[in-house]
Amino acid sequence: MSYLEYNTKFVPTGLRKVLYLNWPLVLLLIAVASFGFLMLYSVAGGSSTPWMAPQMKRFGVSLVVMFAVAMVPIWFWRNMAVLTYGFCLALLIGVEFFGSVGMGAQRWIDLGFIQLQPSEMMKIALVMVLAAYYDWLPVDRVSRPQWLVAPLVLIGLPTMLVLIQPDLGTAIMLSLGGGIIMFLAGVHWAYFGTVILGGVGLVATVLESRGTTWQLLHDYQFRRIDTFLDPSSDPLGAGYHITQAKIALGSGGWTGKGFMQGTQSRLNFLPEKQTDFIFTTLAEEFGFVGAATLLALYTLIIAFCIVSALQNKDRFASLVTLGVAATLFLFFAVNMSMVMGLAPVVGVPLPLVSYGGSAMLVLMGAFGLVQSAHVHRQR
Amino acid sequence: MIRTPLRPLARILRARERGENPDAIERENKRMRHEEMRDRARLQAESRLILLAVAFLGGFLLIGGRMAYIATTDPVEPRAAASGSPIIGQRADILDRNGRILATNLDTYALYAQPQQMIDPEAAATRLAEIFPELDAERLRTDFTGTRKFVWVRRQISPEQLQAVHDIGEPGLLFGPREARLYPNGPIAAQVLGGATYGREGVDSAEVIGVAGVERQFDAYLRDPANQGAPLTLSLDLTVQATAEEVLAGGMMLMNAKAASAVLLDVHTGEVIAMVSLPDFDPNTRPALSPETSPDDNPLFNRAVQGVYELGSTFKVFAVSQALELGLVNADTMIDTRGPLTWGRFRIRDFHNYGAQLSVTDVVVKSSNIGTARIALQIGADRQREFLDSLGLLQPTSIELSEARSGRPLFPAQWSEISTMTIGYGHGVSDSPLHLAAAYASIVNGGTLVTPTLIRQDRAQTGPRIISEATSRIMRSMLREVVQHGTATFGDVEGYDVGGKTGTADKPNPQGGYYDDKVIATFASFFPASDPRYVLVVSLDEPVETSGSEPRRTAGWTAVPVAAEMIRRIAPILGMRPQIETAEADGVTLTSN
Repeated sequence: MSYLEYNTKFVPTGLRKVLYLNWPLVLLLIAVASFGFLMLYSVAGGSSTPWMAPQMKRFGVSLVVMFAVAMVPIWFWRNMAVLTYGFCLALLIGVEFFGSVGMGAQRWIDLGFIQLQPSEMMKIALVMVLAAYYDWLPVDRVSRPQWLVAPLVLIGLPTMLVLIQPDLGTAIMLSLGGGIIMFLAGVHWAYFGTVILGGVGLVATVLESRGTTWQLLHDYQFRRIDTFLDPSSDPLGAGYHITQAKIALGSGGWTGKGFMQGTQSRLNFLPEKQTDFIFTTLAEEFGFVGAATLLALYTLIIAFCIVSALQNKDRFASLVTLGVAATLFLFFAVNMSMVMGLAPVVGVPLPLVSYGGSAMLVLMGAFGLVQSAHVHRQR
Repeated sequence: MIRTPLRPLARILRARERGENPDAIERENKRMRHEEMRDRARLQAESRLILLAVAFLGGFLLIGGRMAYIATTDPVEPRAAASGSPIIGQRADILDRNGRILATNLDTYALYAQPQQMIDPEAAATRLAEIFPELDAERLRTDFTGTRKFVWVRRQISPEQLQAVHDIGEPGLLFGPREARLYPNGPIAAQVLGGATYGREGVDSAEVIGVAGVERQFDAYLRDPANQGAPLTLSLDLTVQATAEEVLAGGMMLMNAKAASAVLLDVHTGEVIAMVSLPDFDPNTRPALSPETSPDDNPLFNRAVQGVYELGSTFKVFAVSQALELGLVNADTMIDTRGPLTWGRFRIRDFHNYGAQLSVTDVVVKSSNIGTARIALQIGADRQREFLDSLGLLQPTSIELSEARSGRPLFPAQWSEISTMTIGYGHGVSDSPLHLAAAYASIVNGGTLVTPTLIRQDRAQTGPRIISEATSRIMRSMLREVVQHGTATFGDVEGYDVGGKTGTADKPNPQGGYYDDKVIATFASFFPASDPRYVLVVSLDEPVETSGSEPRRTAGWTAVPVAAEMIRRIAPILGMRPQIETAEADGVTLTSN
């Protein structure tokens, strides 16, 4: 293709943009959220209060936010990336001092009309700033050590702040999400190999630190690791979550007990049944078929994101699209693994299904970025 | 890679010639180089994207696979628990053959104290001493006011005591749930059941472990939560057991015996229907005895299994049946019974002088030691030893009791000829009553080996053949004659056709030799003699029957009447109809059928 062709690429303007939205992706998002509405209706014992109705309102608002973000050209968002990141970092520092304590951890900032969880916003802000950085950085410098410092600081700062909240799940997701973008941007293999080795060493050190004066994790975090490794070691204590969740999953079988027929979740065996452990309700009531359907929907969302990223020639746009897809993947992969006993209990919601506004709003905003990248791509 | 120069001299010169701006060529080349680089980066990014997609797919497959695995496996409630958590699952019940409870569990509480949390330790100690008179108030006071953080007060308390302690209102007194083993029938079948005690103890629960008898033998089974409380069903019949104990206790008192035992065995299945050992105890409050206590006075000692005694003339049955089986004699062969029989420095005597000779049947019926000794001599040491071994009389029984191994028979290491003769009439080999019952069952049931068991069976045993059907039949009629005309005439229970053999053995003196006035009197019986269903062995330790002019100790006067009374009471419970017309007269035709 010639330079001339490149410049005459068609980009829709005005209301025509609506036609060029990635509509299948919108439908998939609505489908996943509908799963959530059903489940919230069920865990409330067949009632739209206290969870389903607010969740639907929030989803509506989030959808509007997504469209609004999508209408704005993607290059505007690239220019906003550093600002957004700085704002989120400030908020994260803010919660350290002004945040309200919920569930034993400082995570929320109360803006009066909405409870904001800056660590959620940080997930997307980090994706944006890293994508912008690698868009700006000439390709031949990507793997040079001096140009690795900035992204590592960009990832490290929020991760540390989240860790001291303490919120292990989000910290893991931030560092993994950032790492995935660096990988996609083309950072050399050797760095990842080193980091993985170092990570193994770090895990060993953390486990070693247990019971000493320089203990690196809270006792409850160690117990969760123990419980993860052997849930039956403490079925009534820390292993309770997982054991009950697995009972719910197992009792669902292939086709489930039927809508609103689940006992584990509705009889209050399960803690956090409307948030982090909502997947168990789904698996119990709709069985393997229902759970696999949800999994397939997530897979499709990610597949659409990857296809959209491949079609996009703009580096920032495709990196943001993939970063959002990776964030979504980490969300549900960590959540489902946790519920099924493949990973320790770290407190990550099931994206778009779990009850909660902050995470949903941020995630839909992120998909707004994906849509914007899709609409404003050079064709 | 060949890098094109940004300003290729040839082209620039040519462009200059044409009057064009040579910078355009540089810009063009720069752009192309950038595009090339971008395309390379793109290619790399795409390959990385594919890798990431593969990783995502792997994640999906892992989660999906795990989901399918969980969906296909049955949900399992956690059963095992780590130490420190409550011990889940109750000990299984023990039932008799008809499903009646022999051992079960009761939820009770243990009482403990945390003195640090006490408001008024002094008052609590005083009040506790009032509720539990066996506790020492002073001791409690020092415990409660001292530095201890934890004090066990009582291992088990009753509901009334629980309420009373509650009423003290002391927050430092706490209750921990306890599963208590309960034997609702008290001392009935005490030695068989054994008893249980607490093992590891925690605040929330305590382990119950069997210490003796079936409780110990089947401890692992009874405790295994995987059995989900499936009870252990024994072969004992509670009613028969209770009756046997009652009759034996009465007989023991009447005969002035210091101890007694009885075993009732099904001759076909080998099931022990009743097993009594007196004196007994209550397994709910199992007495703690020092191991030095002599077995004679120890209620925990199961005489029917652990007590090995010389069982005297009851053994003659084995010599005679073997001689019949070997074809050495038949029932009518005349045996020389002139006495005393002198063999080296030993002399063998009979209780009475039976004249010059007796038929084999009469040797058994009249219980001639000399006659049996001569028969045994014909058999010979090796064959005798082999035969007794095949009947299980030379090894401990395999009965399902933890004590069975200690019931080890005694027999001479050197099986000399004199041993052969004395063992023929029951001296020189010591066996438990259970041994004897099983051996009798093997002789009279048609000749196949019976292994005694305490677990309910559904079918007859098919043990190896010991003697032929024919020999078994001859032995049955001989032993029936013992009761009809011989030494056990008191044992003739009308309608039940009892057969059996008495045995009166002098007790060995620990100082050497035998006592003159202390015997073990045994009656090994079976009924009905024509087609035996049960073997009953009753054994009395040092009985003296004093109703006559002189004290009588022989089994015919002591063990036999007790056994007869037992059969009289037990047989109807076992569902046996009395056969009043035992011998249907030949040639009589019933008018109607």
